[in-house]
Amino acid sequence: MEMNNMNMSSQQDSAKSPSGLKILWRELVRDKLALVSLILLILIIVFVYGVSFIMDEKEIVKVDLFAIHEPPSEEFILGTDYGGRDVFGQLIIGTRNSLSIGFIVTLLSGMIGITFGLIAGFFGGHIDNVLMRILDFFQVLPFIMLVIVFVSIVPNYTILAFSLIFTAFSWMGIARLIRSKALQEKELDYVQASRTLGTSNFKIIFREVMPNISSLIIVTLTLNLASNIGLESGLSFLGFGFPESTPSLGTLLSYATNPQTLEHRWWIWVPAAVMILVLMLAVRNVGEALRRATDARQRRG
Amino acid sequence: MAILEVEDLKIYFPIKAGIFNRTVDHIKAVDGVSFAIEEGKTYGLVGESGSGKTTTGRGIIGLEHITAGSVKFNGKDITNKKKKTKAISRDIQMIFQDPYSSLNPRKRVRDIIAEPLRNYENLTKQEEKKRVQELLELVGLSPESILKYPHEFSGGQRQRIGIARAIALKPKLIIADEPVSALDVSVQAQVLNFMQDIQKELGLTYLFISHDLGIVKHMCDDIAIMYKGRYVEQGTKEEIFNHPQHIYTKRLVSAIPDIDPSNREKLFQFRQEVQEEYDESYNEYFDSEGLAYSLKPISETHLVALPEKG
Repeated sequence: MEMNNMNMSSQQDSAKSPSGLKILWRELVRDKLALVSLILLILIIVFVYGVSFIMDEKEIVKVDLFAIHEPPSEEFILGTDYGGRDVFGQLIIGTRNSLSIGFIVTLLSGMIGITFGLIAGFFGGHIDNVLMRILDFFQVLPFIMLVIVFVSIVPNYTILAFSLIFTAFSWMGIARLIRSKALQEKELDYVQASRTLGTSNFKIIFREVMPNISSLIIVTLTLNLASNIGLESGLSFLGFGFPESTPSLGTLLSYATNPQTLEHRWWIWVPAAVMILVLMLAVRNVGEALRRATDARQRRG
Repeated sequence: MAILEVEDLKIYFPIKAGIFNRTVDHIKAVDGVSFAIEEGKTYGLVGESGSGKTTTGRGIIGLEHITAGSVKFNGKDITNKKKKTKAISRDIQMIFQDPYSSLNPRKRVRDIIAEPLRNYENLTKQEEKKRVQELLELVGLSPESILKYPHEFSGGQRQRIGIARAIALKPKLIIADEPVSALDVSVQAQVLNFMQDIQKELGLTYLFISHDLGIVKHMCDDIAIMYKGRYVEQGTKEEIFNHPQHIYTKRLVSAIPDIDPSNREKLFQFRQEVQEEYDESYNEYFDSEGLAYSLKPISETHLVALPEKG
């Protein structure tokens, strides 16, 4: 009996509910650019995480004075930098770090922003007012400066610490967006009905309202991911990101500030630049396709 | 004893203006409404759009803030939301006007109907499923449809799901806010008859909010006519339909369509007479702001908003 039920519900699942997923898939197939982006993205992610798993980070960041500025060769696929370190290894581990930071920041800031926005929008009135003023406060803080101060104070920071400090300053946009949607949603009859049926506010917020704005949430998070991937590179480029002992795309890029490197040693900075460009564009293309899929008027498929 | 007593209910919405968002005035959506419903009866609340009938219903169930007045359920004061015990909120349920927006589009029928059960009763998965299937059968839907989503149903079927949800806890009072106005006429009759059936079966009391006099005549024992937040006339069905006293009620009653074509001329003339009377005596029946006067009893059950004479 139980088995039977399970079967039935899973059948129903595949037949009915993923109409949303199906629309998405159609949109992706129709938009070739997004499809290629998605495949490329998956390939890069799998490759980067797979290869970095078998790589020895210590070995890569070890300075080797006999192999300074080597051009691409059999031994070093992408040559070496001014410390004789393998650029290819740095590229892979740097990409992994950027991706990890992007994912963690997106997820954490998403969680905080969604909760904050839903609560502010759902309750409205004074609660909304107080919460939005707190949000305004966070928004006027000079983000880059605070991160730089943090980075100079904390001597040895990790990917997680880096992500947390970014999260603290990047949840406001999502919160605003979700709030505005929650304000609309809470006026609908099904929310009122849940109230008269004795459902607690907490349950209404997360079980009734949130599923109904899930498409907006998915799209926003995807588009945010694109910008969050570039966060770390930007700071490392300025010299406030990871130290040189931690490979980073931004560090590789910053070598290009040396005119000699910029002109004659392209293998140090071009791969990193291309990687950042490709990653951000790919995520954005997928995100745009998702966004179109959620709006029937903009759909292509 | 009356199951629901409403005393001088006032629901005002503030109008905010200026830089400091101060309250400059109020919209008096409901302005001094009193009534009582006997157990097992159907009480009809009739009025044009914006007359405050829906707000009255939502105020009683606690969806609007009550500015003044009191609401008593079985003798217990439930005006303040905090005073409302779980048992009382369980006994008052609501059927919503719009069957399209009142069901969460992301939930299956099973979860929609089981929502009140999960909040008030501790049932096992199997018991809950059985109850949901029983309820679906009761409202005339196939028990197999528990795994469907609301969008797979027609308007009438959706409204039945809404009704099933409202009666799931076997409440004593159901506030039906224009339960059929979004449905087409053939389905209206189905849903209304069904509501009467379950009323007999479960001993329900209805507060029936509608703007359709024909439906009210069909459903209700007592009727109140509302206009601009105030009562215009209140009485039994016979009194309102056969001896309307207030000019506004007369006009409403005369507007009920008659399907017999041989009456067409007569009815047309009658309506014209009523319209003339309405135009002539408008100032007599409404005060300077166009609001109804307070109610004066003209018989034991019949109350009419007539101006003070002399």
